Amino acid sequence: MTMKKHYSFNTASIESRIIMHIVLFAFSVCCIIPFIFVIIISFSSEASIKEIGYSFIPLEWSTSTYSYAFEKLPQIWRSFLNSIYITAVGTILSTAMCALYAYALYRPDFKYRKFFTFFSFFTMIFSGGLVPTYMISKQVLHLSENYAALIVPLLVSPFNIIVMRTFFKTSVPLELIEAATIDGSGEYSTLCRVVLPIAKPGIATIALLNALAYWNDWFQALLYIRQNKALQPLQALLMELQNNVDYLNRMAGQMGTAAIMESMRAPTHTLRMALVVLIVVPIACAYPFFQRYIVAGLTIGSVKG
Amino acid sequence: MKRILSLLIALVMVLTFCACGNTEKPAADSSGTTGNTSGTNNNANTAGTQTASGNTLEPVTLKMWFHGSTVTPEASEKVMAELNAYLKDKINVTLVPIWGTWGDFDQRVVTALAGGDDVDIYFTCNWSANEYNKYARDGYWVKLDDLLPKYAPELLNIIPGGIWECAKTNGSEGMGIYAVPGLKDTATQNCWDVNGTLLAELGYDVDAVCAKGLDYYSDEFEEMLRKAKEAKGADFYPLLIEPAVLERMVTHSSIITGDLSGGNVLSFYYDAEHPSKDLGNKIVNKYATEEFKKFAKRTYYYAQKGFISPSCQNVATANDYRTSTQNSGQYLIGTQSYAFGCELDFSKARGIDVRMVPETAPYMDCTSGQGAMMAISKTSKNPERALMFLNLLNTDPKVMTYVNYGVEGFTYTTNNDGTISFIPENRQNYSPWTNGVGNVRILPPTKEQGPDFWTRFAAYYNSAETLPYGGFIFDSSKCETEAAAIANVYAQYAFNLMSGAVDPDAVLPEFLQKLESAGINTLVNEANRQLAEYLGK
Repeated sequence: MTMKKHYSFNTASIESRIIMHIVLFAFSVCCIIPFIFVIIISFSSEASIKEIGYSFIPLEWSTSTYSYAFEKLPQIWRSFLNSIYITAVGTILSTAMCALYAYALYRPDFKYRKFFTFFSFFTMIFSGGLVPTYMISKQVLHLSENYAALIVPLLVSPFNIIVMRTFFKTSVPLELIEAATIDGSGEYSTLCRVVLPIAKPGIATIALLNALAYWNDWFQALLYIRQNKALQPLQALLMELQNNVDYLNRMAGQMGTAAIMESMRAPTHTLRMALVVLIVVPIACAYPFFQRYIVAGLTIGSVKG
Repeated sequence: MKRILSLLIALVMVLTFCACGNTEKPAADSSGTTGNTSGTNNNANTAGTQTASGNTLEPVTLKMWFHGSTVTPEASEKVMAELNAYLKDKINVTLVPIWGTWGDFDQRVVTALAGGDDVDIYFTCNWSANEYNKYARDGYWVKLDDLLPKYAPELLNIIPGGIWECAKTNGSEGMGIYAVPGLKDTATQNCWDVNGTLLAELGYDVDAVCAKGLDYYSDEFEEMLRKAKEAKGADFYPLLIEPAVLERMVTHSSIITGDLSGGNVLSFYYDAEHPSKDLGNKIVNKYATEEFKKFAKRTYYYAQKGFISPSCQNVATANDYRTSTQNSGQYLIGTQSYAFGCELDFSKARGIDVRMVPETAPYMDCTSGQGAMMAISKTSKNPERALMFLNLLNTDPKVMTYVNYGVEGFTYTTNNDGTISFIPENRQNYSPWTNGVGNVRILPPTKEQGPDFWTRFAAYYNSAETLPYGGFIFDSSKCETEAAAIANVYAQYAFNLMSGAVDPDAVLPEFLQKLESAGINTLVNEANRQLAEYLGK
């Protein structure tokens, strides 16, 4: 009697599983290798880079970049704290706003539901454009040279609102709210004690998306932080260093010697790579905390609407 | 209650929409070609009625945007405290600097200008994104012709007429001066950047070689490269080029200011020894000339011999490679557009004996004349005070030193002979881009430069001859379609041809044909028409 392996109906054959594993493994390697390379470069000595360029096996290892960065560049610490502060405050505020807005849209008894759905959806298709946004933020809202300028512009994301509303719709039955009302629960108590606990996976997903958006954002700083550089988040600092080097190299033809003299002052390759490591590591550490919710979160995205 | 509340919210939202509607207008203006925004018009009017009469000036805060600086907020605060105390007595101005950085300046400034920020003075020039001529045409800068004699007479005198001539452009309010040009390295001279240390190693008499000059097409030039290649091995590439600069210096062609067709397609050939000599030349499509063909062939020949690194021939890696190779001194001959005294700085930084061998005499044209300027924004509420400040900045050594070098005892110390020495740990936190600030010639010399540096500096630049077409600026707005098409073709071919990556015999005819179908002749004819008009008047 031959042993026959039983597959459940959605399991692939061994061959295709092997192929899939190879493909996925190759893909993971492609994702991880550049990052490992960056770490290696950040720990290479400057002399080694001058001699043989970037290499997986540098001639000499060194931690001098990190000690230099932390001792000599106080702005890195400051920026690091800025990034954490902006991400923390921004994530809490934007997630709260998103959840509340989405909850209102989810309640069928909310009279202006259609209008507010359209109101947020409309901005997904037609955005104001850079300059009008800049003018409103700066001249009307006075978002300039302060933390608010880095937090407020990213506060509301219509996409997240729609995802969140769909999540409420699919996972929180309306009967539950009715039941709560009958039991004498007020609106706020229903929201906090009944709806939010059920919606945790959705909220966690939105929180992760928001945290990533805040952590990775440098553009708001580019627009609104130009005098008070102490407020720069880490990403903006890195972008600035990188842009400076690129710009000077590109402009050497027009600017002549000035570009060359200036580019000699630019930070070293290792310093830039060390900054990348500083940026990636904290957010990579945050992933596992959110991970168990992400799968649930991803499936809501697929039935949005 | 609920109803009222929702009505209120709806009202707020409608109002927000209206506000959005209004702000769209200036945005459209800034990207388009039309002139003033309504906002700037109002400001210009109020500016006209305000006149600074009498000795008692109202206190005014001026925001000034610099390019490419490395300044920390703490250092800036310290310097500004001293500067503003000095300025208060002089013109009752408080200066609030915005220290631009190299990489982010373009995007920030363009957004701020389009958004009508309350910045009084902007850095501008002909190579940054807020290009002087274009932004003057679009009505962003205050026209200074009438204000200058009244509010900045000293400034008017200290800057030579030739440079004022270059600052004249066809702006929104007609031909005139829309920005104060910086009195800096106001001439262009293309030099061979020679690694003297390596040349001596190869057995050459460095002084003799440099005194004689280098000829790109000569056998000696080739032999030098060959010897270096043999001595240093196959991985060493003796000829370190920036293709566009190499082409300009070898063929003695100049950039036409205002040619925005991507590359510098339009060219004017000048006499290498006496740039001001009128050769009867016109503006030409430089790729169609014999000079260019000869140059491209020679460069291709050198590349085939292995004298030019493949990294130099790849647009993606060329800039990075050149900068790092230059800084580590791994070359024999390079290209450099010269700035007075730069060989000293380079020798020090690269740890080799850097020699600059002139290929052409220094010449002055608007490309160098418009290299760094300060324009007063139409959004400025106090344009005349801004001009008074620019006047002081360019004529009062104290103000210039404050802004450029910082405060004595903090960023520098003064020596007995009048020179200064920097205090490195503070200077590195306060380093504006010297040439971008204004009249650098009134700065105190540093110890390394020597006491008479600025005298020699001025003598060098004042001796520069003006090209025959003088202050001509090409207005390409009539040929924007052609310019865009040409820019595409240029991006596809020119770099490869100039870096010796492709065989000109095979590729050049194809390139020329494509340029022609892109409308190069229209562009050249228009440029020559404008030039004739300019010279005729």
